[in-house]
Parts: sequence; C-alpha cells; structure tokens
Amino acid sequence: MRRSAGELESQVLGALWASEKALTPTEIQSEVGGGLAYNTIHTTLKRLYDKGVVVRDAEGRRGAYRPVTATAQATAEAMHLALERNPDPISSLQHFVSGLGPDEERALRDLLDRKR
Amino acid sequence: MVIDVYVPLVASLLLGAVSPLVARRMPPAVAACVLVAASLLTAASFVWALVLLAGTLYEDLPDVAADAHARHLSIPDPVPEIIAQASIVLGVIVALRVAMLVRSQRHTRDLKRTLTGGSAANTELIVADSEEPRAFAIPGRPGHVFVTTAMLRGLNAAEREVLLAHERAHLRHHHGWLRLLVDVAAAVDPLLIPLRGDVEFLLERWADEHAARATGDRDITARALARAALLSANAQRRCALAFADQAVIRRVDALRNTPPRPARAWAAIVVACALVVPVITADATGDFVDLFWRILPG
Repeated sequence: MRRSAGELESQVLGALWASEKALTPTEIQSEVGGGLAYNTIHTTLKRLYDKGVVVRDAEGRRGAYRPVTATAQATAEAMHLALERNPDPISSLQHFVSGLGPDEERALRDLLDRKR
Repeated sequence: MVIDVYVPLVASLLLGAVSPLVARRMPPAVAACVLVAASLLTAASFVWALVLLAGTLYEDLPDVAADAHARHLSIPDPVPEIIAQASIVLGVIVALRVAMLVRSQRHTRDLKRTLTGGSAANTELIVADSEEPRAFAIPGRPGHVFVTTAMLRGLNAAEREVLLAHERAHLRHHHGWLRLLVDVAAAVDPLLIPLRGDVEFLLERWADEHAARATGDRDITARALARAALLSANAQRRCALAFADQAVIRRVDALRNTPPRPARAWAAIVVACALVVPVITADATGDFVDLFWRILPG
C-alpha cells in the first residue's frame, strides 16, 4: 500500500511512542512491518527530527531515536483541563471508541481471545 | 393549503421514524449523506412553516381587522389562533437552541486551538503523554489525529494503523461538517433530534469501513476497535465514569460480516421524498400570500 509522507510520519511516531525504549530504524522496521524499506523509515525519521518531534537518543545507542516528551506533556495537560470542564468540549469531537457495559466487555474479550 | 403548511411537521416525524431503517439497510457513507441531506431539507421547510403560521396572526392586528371590517371583507382564518401563537413560542425555542449550538461550536474551536497549539502544524499526529486512553480526530486545515500514549501503547502496530486510518477517514470525508449540519438541522427542528445519534453512528461505521479497506483486513479492524474499547472501559472504571454503549459492539459485528452492498435506489427514494417537502411548503407560501393580498389595507 502506498502511503503519503505524512502518513508514514504518523506511523513511525506512533511506533516510537508505543515503545519503552529508543528505537533504531531497523527496530522500527520490524515493529511496523508492512514491508517498509529501511531507507523510507530513515528518511521519515530525518523529517520528524527536523520538525523537532523526535530526538537522537543521547545516552543510548547510536542511531536510535525517541519522541520529544515536553510538547506531549503540555498537550496532555490541555486535554485534562478540557475534560474537567462541564460540558466537556472534547465529547463533541469524533472519538475512536466510547464506553462499554459489562456484557459488551465480555463479548469483546471473547472476540480478542479467539484464535485468528 | 391549510394542510400543506403542516407537511414539514409530519415529514420531520416520518424522517425520525425512517432514519434507523436507513442506517441499518444502506452502506454507512450513503446512509449518512442521505440522512444529512434529508434533515436539512426538512428542517429548512419546518422553519419556514413556523414563519407562515406565525404570520397568520397579522390579520388579527386591530388596525388590519378594523380596516377589513370597514371594507366589508371577511377575515380569512386559515389556521386556529392558538396554533399561530404556539408557533411563535416554538420559534423562540428554536432561536435559543441555535444560540446554544453557536456557543458550543465556539468552545470546540477554542479547544482545537489549545490541543493543537503546542504541536508543529505540519504533523498529522498529535500525541498527549497521558494515562487516559483516548483517540479522536481534530478537523481543520490541516486536520490532526489526536491520540494519547496510553492508547498507542495498548495497541499493536497493525491496530495502530487501523486507528490512524479510521481517524483519517473522519478528516478526509469531512465528517466534522456532516455532524455540524445534522446538529444545525436538529437545533432548528427538535423533531429531528433522534437523527443525530443515527448520523453519529453512521460516521463511525463509515470510518471503520474506510479503515478496513485501507488496511485490507476486516478482522484486524474489528480487533483494533475491541482492544481500544476495552482500554477505555478499564480507564473509565478507575474514574468511576462507566456508561453503557452498544455502539462498539454493533460496529465490531458489522466488520465481522461482509461489507454492506450499495443501495442507490433506496437512497434516491428517501432524497426524492425529502425534496418534495420544501416544494409543498413553497406551495403553501403562495396560498398564504394570496390570502394576505386580499385583506391588505388600502
């Protein structure tokens, strides 16, 4: 599947945030799968680096990147402030999922436990 | 003609009754567009009918009545006075509802600004470092996908791709606008309030189908939804904010079935019926104008 530069950035940034440690392009490659070339990932990381969204891991391994936390923490603070307001303005945006009752929860757990 | 003016009212009730059926039978993208278009046509006719009904009070103005009496004209009374008065009250309620909608839109706009403020404008993904699993689309130019670290860490790489594709579908297909339009329709025509939930659900289904196509895997798309829903359910239990919602289950079930088939004929029928409503209301307008012309003083 062809992905735009912006979509690749989101994919790589998402993988970096999901990881506990800094990742090298090779590690990102094996994490995201989907047949992305090493060069593609490297170029995407370079772009994210230029935008100041990721940094090179200072104390860790050469070639590994991690996401910048300062902006994400400020954004989280803004989100929590908004959630505390009444009515919560975030509820007017389109959410991926909403809440669940106990029965629904069981049904979804069964689905995930099933072997593919 | 006296009956014509009540057609938008009946149409609103009918549309509310038909909308769950439309939502169930048609592919989500078609169904959402059909419902939004039908609700706008009906709501516009509804407001105009209110204006016409309130306008019939004109002939009861003392000057107009005295003048007509002096010229030995019989005063036509197309609608009972109580209905005309009720439509004025309803008009005030509609105005208040529109004002409330404008206010909440302003809040949403401010929120978008604070949530996107710190991030680079040209990155699609906005990450919040938070333990609360959340993900939503922030429409705008450019639009953004907002997601918390708790959500990113709770999903695997394939499931994260589903999430991104789902939110992108909201942005690319202007779901924010469609939702605003149905909100406007429901604000001016309270009988259309039930449609809002149907359209909201259809927009989610639309984005799910888009994500299933983009990732090429309906099963992973269903799993991603289930996983994300369970993540947020756990978080809600911690904050004691749990509320039941069947929507996710219905969306997961739909993804485990074959994709819905297009239903152009049905879509055309619903839109055609909705188009008739403003035509009839316009016809009623002509009749009201004729009436007033007759009793116009002088």
